[in-house]
Amino acid sequence: MANDNTNNRKAILVTPEACIGCRACQVACKSWNQLPGIKTKNNGTYQNPPDLASAAFNIIQFSEVPSKESPVRWLFVSRRCMHCDDAGCMKICPSGALYKTKEGAVAYDRDKCIGCKLCVTACPFDVPRYDAEGKVTKCHLCFDRIGSAMQPSCVKTCPTGALKFDDRAKLIDDAKKEGFKTLYGEKDLDGLGSIYAFKEEPKLYGMKENPTIPSSVAFWHNYLKPLSWIGLSGVVAAAAIHYLAIGPHKEKEEEV
Amino acid sequence: MAEMVRKSSVDEILNHWILAGSCILLSITGFAFLFHLEPVSSVFGGVNTMKEVHNWGGVVFGLSLLYSMRHYLIDALEYDADDMQWFKVAGGYLSHKVTVPPMGKYNPGQKLYYLAIVVAGIAIAASGLVMWLLKDNASLLLLSHIVHNVAFIIFVLAVPVHIYLGTLANPGTFKLMVSGTLPLSEAKKRYPKWMKAAGKM
Repeated sequence: MANDNTNNRKAILVTPEACIGCRACQVACKSWNQLPGIKTKNNGTYQNPPDLASAAFNIIQFSEVPSKESPVRWLFVSRRCMHCDDAGCMKICPSGALYKTKEGAVAYDRDKCIGCKLCVTACPFDVPRYDAEGKVTKCHLCFDRIGSAMQPSCVKTCPTGALKFDDRAKLIDDAKKEGFKTLYGEKDLDGLGSIYAFKEEPKLYGMKENPTIPSSVAFWHNYLKPLSWIGLSGVVAAAAIHYLAIGPHKEKEEEV
Repeated sequence: MAEMVRKSSVDEILNHWILAGSCILLSITGFAFLFHLEPVSSVFGGVNTMKEVHNWGGVVFGLSLLYSMRHYLIDALEYDADDMQWFKVAGGYLSHKVTVPPMGKYNPGQKLYYLAIVVAGIAIAASGLVMWLLKDNASLLLLSHIVHNVAFIIFVLAVPVHIYLGTLANPGTFKLMVSGTLPLSEAKKRYPKWMKAAGKM
C-alpha cells in the first residue's frame, strides 16, 4: 500500500543497546492511557508483565544471551505495535475500526470494533489484544499526543534515548550516520513505524525474521475482494447483454 | 378459466422468500463489511448492530437452506440423457433456433444451481458460525475467513443469474414464486416429462 504521507510519517526508533531496562516506558504508557496494573507472578525473568496485554501496550522484552566475551549478557528490547505501513490488521478489519492517522500511526476507533478478532490473526507481530469488553486494544503511537506535536508518552519518559520519536526518514538517516547498517523494520511490510537499530542479529533479541502478513489474508485482499464486486457487476452486465442481444425465452408453438 | 397446475407449494414459496430475503440482506451487509460502506452500516445504526443483523440473518439463512432441501434436493441429484442434451444446446439460452429436449420439473441448470447453493451455503454458514463462536482459535479463524469469502464469490456470481433467469429471461416464471401455479397448457410445454409422470398428458 503506497503511503501518501511519506514526507511526514513519524516513527519510534528503538536502540536496544541504550536500553537499561528501567521500564519507565511501560509505566508512562499506563499513565497516559489510564491502564490498570496487571497481577503477575515471578517466573524467574526480568520481563514483567510476561507479554503484551490489554492493559500493557508496550513491554520490555528481556532475554539472557551469554556469549564467550561476556558470560552475563542481558538484552532489553522495547516492544509495541509496529505501525506497519502495509498493516495486516487494518486490511482484514471488517468494520473499519483500525485506521491510519496522517502521521502513520495505526490507531483504532473502539466504538466501531465489532470484536471479531480477525486483526489478531492478520498481525505478523502478535500485537492486538482484546479487553474485558471484547474490544481491540494496542499501542496507537499516542496518536492523540503526536497530533498535538507532543512525543508518545513512552518516548517522553525514556531516560537514555533508547526510544526516540521523530520524522521516520530523519530517524533512519541519523541511525545510519551513527553506524547502524541494517535497521529492523526499514523495509519490512513497506516500512514499519517502530524501527530498531541493532548492532547484532535482531533474532538474538527475539525479533521475528521476515515478518509477513499471512498469505491467505494477502490472497483475500488482492484477489477475492476485487473479484466479489467485479464478478457481481460482470454477471449483471452479462445478463443485460443477454437480454438485449438474444432476448428472453419464447415458447415454441409447434412443441407438445 | 384454464386448468391450473401447482408447481410450488405454499411452504416452498414462503421458505424461498425467507431464503432469498436473508441471502440479499447478508450480501448487502457482507459487502458493507468488505468495503467499509458507512452509508450501509449507518442504516443499521452502526457497524456493531450490522454485525448482529449479519450473524442472526445467517442463522435464518442456514435454517432456511436446510429446510429447502426437502423441496429440491432429490430432484437436483437426478440427471438423464435429456439433461446432457440440454447442456449441449445451452438450454436454448444462446440461440432461439436450437431444439431444447423435453424437461422434467427442473432443468439441469436449475439442479446444478441448487447444488452449488447448497454447497456454498453450507460452507458460508458453517464458516460464519466458526468466526462468530470460535474466534479464539487463530488458524481456524483464518481458514473460516477464506472459506466464507470464497463461498461469497459463488453467491455473487450465481444468484444474479438465478434472479435473471427466474424473471426477465423467462417471462411468467416469477409468478411461480408468488402464486405457485401456472396454466396446464403452459406446464405441458415447459415441463412435459413432469406432466407425463403426473398423468396430465
